[in-house]
Amino acid sequence: MTPSAKLSRREFVRSIGFLSFAVLGNGSILLAQGEANAQEPGRLLANAWVKISRSDEVTIRFASTEMGQGVMTSLPMILAEELDADWSKVLVEQVDQDQEKTYGNPLFGGNLFTAGSESIEGYFNIMRRAGAGARRILIYTAAAAWNVPVTEVSSEPSVILHKASGRSMSFGQIAALSKIVTDVPDITDTDLKPRSTYRLIGTDPGRRDIPGKTRGETVYSIDVRVPGMVYAAQLHAPVEGETPAKVSDLEARAVQGVIDIVPLRNSIAVVANRWEVAKYARDLLKVEWTTTSSFRSANSATDLAAAATAAGELGRPATAWSTRGNVVTGLSGTGRRVVEATYTTEHVYHAQMEPLAAVASVDADGKGAEVWLGTQSQTLSIAAAAQTLQTTPDRIRFHAMQMGGGFGRRTFFARDLLSDALILSRQVKRPVKLIWTREDDVKNAWLRPAGAHKFHAALDETGKLVAWRHRVASPSILAFAWPQRWERANNLDPLVMEGTESTDYDIPDFLAEHVLMERRARVSAWRAIGWGTNCFARECFIDELAHAAGTNPVDFRRRLLNKSARGRAVLEAVVKMSNFDKPQQGRAFGLSFAGYKTTLGAGVAELSIDRQSGQIQVHRFWAAVDPGIAIHPNNLQAQIEGGIIYGLSGLLKERVTIVKGEIEQNNFYDYEVLRMNEIPEISIQIVESGAPPSGAGEIGVPMTGAAVANAVFALTGKRLRDMPFTPGRVKTLINS
Amino acid sequence: MTALTINGKTVNVDTDLQTPLLWILREKLGLTGTKFGCGVASCGACTVHLDGQAIYACQTPLAAVVGKAVTTIEGLSPTGDHALQRAWIAEQVPQCGYCQSGQIMRAAALLSAISRPTRGQIVNTMSANLCRCGTYPRIVRAIERAAKGA
Repeated sequence: MTPSAKLSRREFVRSIGFLSFAVLGNGSILLAQGEANAQEPGRLLANAWVKISRSDEVTIRFASTEMGQGVMTSLPMILAEELDADWSKVLVEQVDQDQEKTYGNPLFGGNLFTAGSESIEGYFNIMRRAGAGARRILIYTAAAAWNVPVTEVSSEPSVILHKASGRSMSFGQIAALSKIVTDVPDITDTDLKPRSTYRLIGTDPGRRDIPGKTRGETVYSIDVRVPGMVYAAQLHAPVEGETPAKVSDLEARAVQGVIDIVPLRNSIAVVANRWEVAKYARDLLKVEWTTTSSFRSANSATDLAAAATAAGELGRPATAWSTRGNVVTGLSGTGRRVVEATYTTEHVYHAQMEPLAAVASVDADGKGAEVWLGTQSQTLSIAAAAQTLQTTPDRIRFHAMQMGGGFGRRTFFARDLLSDALILSRQVKRPVKLIWTREDDVKNAWLRPAGAHKFHAALDETGKLVAWRHRVASPSILAFAWPQRWERANNLDPLVMEGTESTDYDIPDFLAEHVLMERRARVSAWRAIGWGTNCFARECFIDELAHAAGTNPVDFRRRLLNKSARGRAVLEAVVKMSNFDKPQQGRAFGLSFAGYKTTLGAGVAELSIDRQSGQIQVHRFWAAVDPGIAIHPNNLQAQIEGGIIYGLSGLLKERVTIVKGEIEQNNFYDYEVLRMNEIPEISIQIVESGAPPSGAGEIGVPMTGAAVANAVFALTGKRLRDMPFTPGRVKTLINS
Repeated sequence: MTALTINGKTVNVDTDLQTPLLWILREKLGLTGTKFGCGVASCGACTVHLDGQAIYACQTPLAAVVGKAVTTIEGLSPTGDHALQRAWIAEQVPQCGYCQSGQIMRAAALLSAISRPTRGQIVNTMSANLCRCGTYPRIVRAIERAAKGA
């Protein structure tokens, strides 16, 4: 990269043959002086959000990483909208690293971090202001060149116009002018376009990554090939916390092509000239592991039972996450009927299609490296690499690769994989590609933690819900994934508790609290984070309360949403589009209102059950979603479809079981995910409220669990309170 | 040395005959469009054609492809615009994209065998291939679109 310099706004840069300027999110201008690159005629290396070449190319950078959510298209669309760029002339470019927190997501403390569906929300204003700032410079520069007032100058896509005199210049022609005016007023909110004048946002120009993905051209970290590269496979400790006690590697070392065998923290790695050789030799290792880890006693069945007990022990200490009014008095008021129930969910695994892989090439001095990694956080990965090599982040040359699925698998975990690849490369003094097999990935999964939900709620004489207590018993995800953050979190874990707040519901006395359980497995966020499990449990219990109140699930929710116009809008939309509650013969409908952060959603499932096998078949699924503003509607729709399928897969089929600290499952044959012949027909309606745009990557998931469970109740009169809804469980339930 | 026919070209490899075709394609030949997903014929990410039939490259030893024609996503169309590839763009199918080479190769074998498959035939055939992003509805639409145009 070319070093950049922050210059005053009165200065400008013009280098021979090229001109470029860049505008930061706050509207200030970053100018980068670079040397002409012979390989890139007409381009100048710059270091902020946008650069414009003499040949009219507009290059827009995006800081989030692409894992299928379409962010490499939707973020640049926002900037291009305000810049008034012709989208056909736009190139997009990944931000790989960020020494000075120029590019970080403000929702993640200025770090480069892609998670929680927070890219659009976090970058919307930044990208808008960067685009508007760049457009303003073009307008002021053109006005100066024509010697006309700036108020008479306007833009059409990639063209600046002076209509009064009929003159115009393309963006590239302006970039080629000798005098660039950069002393322009700062962009304020009133300078940004109103929704009604958008030309690009809200249209479907198509995802930039898709053509390459139809031709097998997209390079994921597992595909990276660099000269001299060798391959590594790992034999992992069978149980977390164990280390190799005795290693017999003579046989493995004798395999032709094996370069080295290296003990790592919780594994032994075999480095070889080819991947299949490394894997073959890995399987010849004979290792005796220590047997002292406390995780040896982990058992997912008894651990979940303990969580269910703990959730119900009201005397047990808990951390209040969300409080309104006074739930104790609310639950004990005269004339109030208290209803209670317990729900559970089990461990699930991400099952991203690309197994984990990292490529590292450590410098000869051992204090720097070039790395290629699919990661949800460049910042955390670079920091981990620097820590591993005991060096500074500037010595890490990072390539943020597209990911073959993320879903939470590639957030904090990536640092371990990268660290191991770096140690191996340093050891063998060659570039190393470290690959995990699918079995490695399953056996060493970071799981959505199993947990229990205990509810107490009170209905008043009119059947209105007036008091609500939701106790979630779960280990902390944050404590394991990001211990430094947990230390100052006061036991508040958003990764577990978000989604319990239920702020769209008007419930005067309210408490959501976390009963902290001991961690008995590696845990992490899984698509929809806490919202998935918390909304499942909440919306099932709401259905129970609706029946206890003698009303129906729609009217009961309408009353609860009396202060949330957005909530009512998605509820009414899904009721209408699904023609609720008129299922076909032998089928039933179930409703769930479930948002994800500030995106609101509601879903309806229609299903039948094979009473012989207990197999649920979801025939149709309807969803209404309010993302505020839909930036790229077709992609938003795709994200919702995918989220619904991911959610249904988790609740119908997926479960990781642990016995004596070891995950029992191995691969897709015993950790099954939904296939094409198991999905419903899906219908989606986007209900734009015009609120600031919010995320789409996870909104499909939270609505699925309760929609299905509530439909099962409607069909059978029996309540499914434990996820997953496997055929065995359903059969037992309907025969009970 | 073993001579192979990959995407219409003859290539020589000096690898053990039991080596899975997947790793020959990816490592020896740099044809990384064919993906490793499970290694046990459970996900279909490695789907390629052997004499026009869809096979799992992860379960196919080098010995089994000698004298036969292997086609990968890189060789499906000389210009990358097979009717399915165009339909995949029109329907905006891929999300993460990792499974899509395998999906397209299985769909191409299906359309070669049955030019106008029913929806049931599409779903039955394509259920061999996993997509974790949930692009299944769009895959169905893209295959139907390509079949109509063919």
